[in-house]
Amino acid sequence: MEKYFEIKNLAVSFNTFEGVKPVLNIEHIVIDRGETFGLVGESGAGKTVLALTILGLLPPHSAIIHHGHIWFDGEDLLQKSQKQLQDHIRGKRISMIFQDPMSTLNPVFSVGEQLGRVIERHQNIKGSQTRKRALEMLDLVKLPDASDMLRKYPHELSGGQRQRVIIAIALSCGAEFLIADEPTRNLDVTIQAGIMKLIDELQDELSISVLFIANNMGLVNVICDFVGILYRGRVVEMGASAQVIRQPAHPYTVTLLSAIPRSKSESLRFAKTDFRPDVDAGCPYYARCPLAIDNCRDGIPPLRNFGGRQQVACIRAKEGVML
Amino acid sequence: MSVLRSYFNKSRPALKELRFSFHLLNKNRLQRVSLIIIVVLFLIAIFAPFIAPYPHLIMRETNPVDRLQPPSARYWFGTDELGRDLFSRVLYGTRISLQTALIAVALALLIGVPLGAVAGAVSGFLDEVIMRITDIFLSFPPLLLAIAIAAFLGPTLENAMLAIAISWWPWYTRLIRGQAVSIRERQFVRAARAIGTSSTRIIFQHILPNCMAPVIVQASMDLGGVILTIAALSFLGLGAQPPTPEWGLLISTSRTYFLNAWWYSTFPGLAIFLTVLVFNLMGDGIREVLDPRTRKV
Amino acid sequence: MIRFIVRRLFLGGVVLLGVILITFFLARVVPSDPAAKWAGPRATPAQIVQARLELGLDKPLPAQFYKYLTDLLQGNLGHSLRTRQPISQELKASLPATVELVLLSTLAAVLIGIPLGVISAKRKNEMVDHISRLFSVGVVSLPTFWIGLILQLVFFRILGIMPMGGQLSTHLRLTMEIPKITGFLTFDTLITGNFVLFLNAIWHLILPGITIALYPIGLVARMTRSALLEILNEDYITAARSYGLAERTVLWAYALKNSLGPTSTVVALSIGYTLVNTFLTETIFAWPGIGSYIATAVIGLDYPAIMGVTIFSALSYVVLNLIADIVVALDPRVRV
Repeated sequence: MEKYFEIKNLAVSFNTFEGVKPVLNIEHIVIDRGETFGLVGESGAGKTVLALTILGLLPPHSAIIHHGHIWFDGEDLLQKSQKQLQDHIRGKRISMIFQDPMSTLNPVFSVGEQLGRVIERHQNIKGSQTRKRALEMLDLVKLPDASDMLRKYPHELSGGQRQRVIIAIALSCGAEFLIADEPTRNLDVTIQAGIMKLIDELQDELSISVLFIANNMGLVNVICDFVGILYRGRVVEMGASAQVIRQPAHPYTVTLLSAIPRSKSESLRFAKTDFRPDVDAGCPYYARCPLAIDNCRDGIPPLRNFGGRQQVACIRAKEGVML
Repeated sequence: MSVLRSYFNKSRPALKELRFSFHLLNKNRLQRVSLIIIVVLFLIAIFAPFIAPYPHLIMRETNPVDRLQPPSARYWFGTDELGRDLFSRVLYGTRISLQTALIAVALALLIGVPLGAVAGAVSGFLDEVIMRITDIFLSFPPLLLAIAIAAFLGPTLENAMLAIAISWWPWYTRLIRGQAVSIRERQFVRAARAIGTSSTRIIFQHILPNCMAPVIVQASMDLGGVILTIAALSFLGLGAQPPTPEWGLLISTSRTYFLNAWWYSTFPGLAIFLTVLVFNLMGDGIREVLDPRTRKV
Repeated sequence: MIRFIVRRLFLGGVVLLGVILITFFLARVVPSDPAAKWAGPRATPAQIVQARLELGLDKPLPAQFYKYLTDLLQGNLGHSLRTRQPISQELKASLPATVELVLLSTLAAVLIGIPLGVISAKRKNEMVDHISRLFSVGVVSLPTFWIGLILQLVFFRILGIMPMGGQLSTHLRLTMEIPKITGFLTFDTLITGNFVLFLNAIWHLILPGITIALYPIGLVARMTRSALLEILNEDYITAARSYGLAERTVLWAYALKNSLGPTSTVVALSIGYTLVNTFLTETIFAWPGIGSYIATAVIGLDYPAIMGVTIFSALSYVVLNLIADIVVALDPRVRV
């Protein structure tokens, strides 16, 4: 059976002045229709790069896609030209919410102008109809004073308001697949909750699939059905979020989970330290892994089934990692 | 080798910065060539008397027999209306252009930098006054002030240098002031002030050395423009006077003859063009290296 | 917003005053005696004293400045030492020709320079970009007076297809009546339907036009390119693309508007540079504008005339910048 969204063997590198640096090396990611998939990883793990790769928005001069497939509804996105992506995929079918609300909105255009332009691009309407639709979208993201909002410029809005506007714009394209790249990262904690709730509700209302990118498990737990753990460009664990949280199989997942302080005594159990020097070959987590053994240096461990839909890339996974 | 490389990358971030800068600078072949040509120009300027084939035929000594000869094996660039060797004259012109440009810029720095440092360091009324004066000077269309000053002071090369210095210093003042303002809030300045160091000392020993970098860069980038300005002033009769072999003056004199003596205008002009071009290219390179935004890989 | 404009106008006034002050002092620095010049080379000492009284040079400096200022406000720029005509009149006569050139070069800068910069930024590091960048840095390094001469050499002397200088061919000037409505030759000849003159005027505009336009085109292209490169790297451009907007829209509708701020600054700056380049160009092509006027004044050491042109140019420049600043302030991003 054809999968709705599947990434296979994707390898992406960046051209830096020190040579070619590998950034992504993803064996396998699967997302079903209507599912919410959370991608968790620390800063620099390559999450945003993955999002940009899906939409073909990597900087052309410095990014290299070595090989891989990104299957979306039967077509390989990596085989498509920029024009094809622009006309058929971007916005129309896959849409994206970026991290920093301030820098994502164009400062010299009003909310109404930005929202309107995107609406008119994807729906064959003009003028007053566009305005009507824009107001609808603003209502959808629960922004009060919608008609007033249309006239405003980005610098006149608060962080939370901007993020909602961005969600409105992203959704007004009518996409069925939403990539949310750390949408609450630059917001206060209280505002975060509001945005998360909004995304959850929208997902139900509009029946869209969501790839939710985050840097901590706490956020993912709230709305995601499935979760994938990204460490230095590789997926080291994947599975139903409830299962992974209850039974983390990869040492890194354990670290991530224990980083959520539940009580004073429990926190900081796995403090981040470099146990040993890095190796070029072998498991990427070798340097920090408390369970590392010599065999770990032999090669990159592949994703293997762990039970149910859970998959782990660790040769010591079966040994019940719950220290 | 890779061990060495990884050592440098991991433990010495400062060294990495340096390597990065150098990499950027060298990256562009054009800029490497420009650097070489600039060095050559300076060498020409210094050793002109030894390189010029007819070192006597550049100023007052004339050779009417060979007047207005086209380029030949004897006279590579041809001769002017007094039979002087154009090639030698152009070579000597290098000396004049580089010298006057350096002096003019140095003078502008001498005026502008202290003013800017003081303005940035003390703020308040003095700052306002200095900045208003700077604004007024900057409100003149570029070069117009230089023309006016040179005209009123009298047409000599020295006055042209002075004129340029007087119209150029405000840029540096503004630049330095901006730097000084951000430096003065830094810890070490506050510390110095706390232990009672005199203001003058603070300005010159602490603040100034830390501001100099962008100014030095700007000044070296300005050299090209200054050379062009000197040539323009001399062309208008406001700078070098005959028989000085200044490039702009050569072109001005050539106007009477150039329709029949194409070499007279062409070669001095090419000299100006080439010199200014390499300075501009070099300036682009320096700017690319130092501007944090273009450093994004 | 209003506060900003008022403040800016006030600052502008202060600057204007300062400019006038400086120019006034410059004139007083003159080594030779203006009274002697005014009286003429064969004047007797009595006549020189008389001249001094006439020019008000016996009064104390502040009084002189006051007189100068009041004269200025009435539009009186003094009299030329050479022709004894009111300078303001002579300036008025020479102005249109210069404005023609300045307009031409600014138009060229905007219509050619900006698109060149945009295309260069879009196709960064491709052949188009390299050529365009080389062109830009090249023309910015060219001495204006030299390229004018070379153009004359090639197109007039060697190829014989262009006139050497002036606004109209001499034989036309002698045989036909030149319309003088606005003073702008091309405009006047066009609206009076005199096509022979009109085409001739256009033909004479070509070489000086090219000469004067090169520098601004290069400058604007360079600045537009770098401004646009920065903008194209911004998140909001990537976001705009991610919404599926056409690349054409992203570039010309979005990115361009974002670059308006720095671009208009550059255009204003290029006008400033163009001014002096205009002087040089007019000298070469015997173009009867302010540039030729000041060039003659410089050679003849006609200080009042030099001062008059300086003041006039400086004041126009200040006013121009004032307008540009206020226009930029209309940008919603400028938080005033």
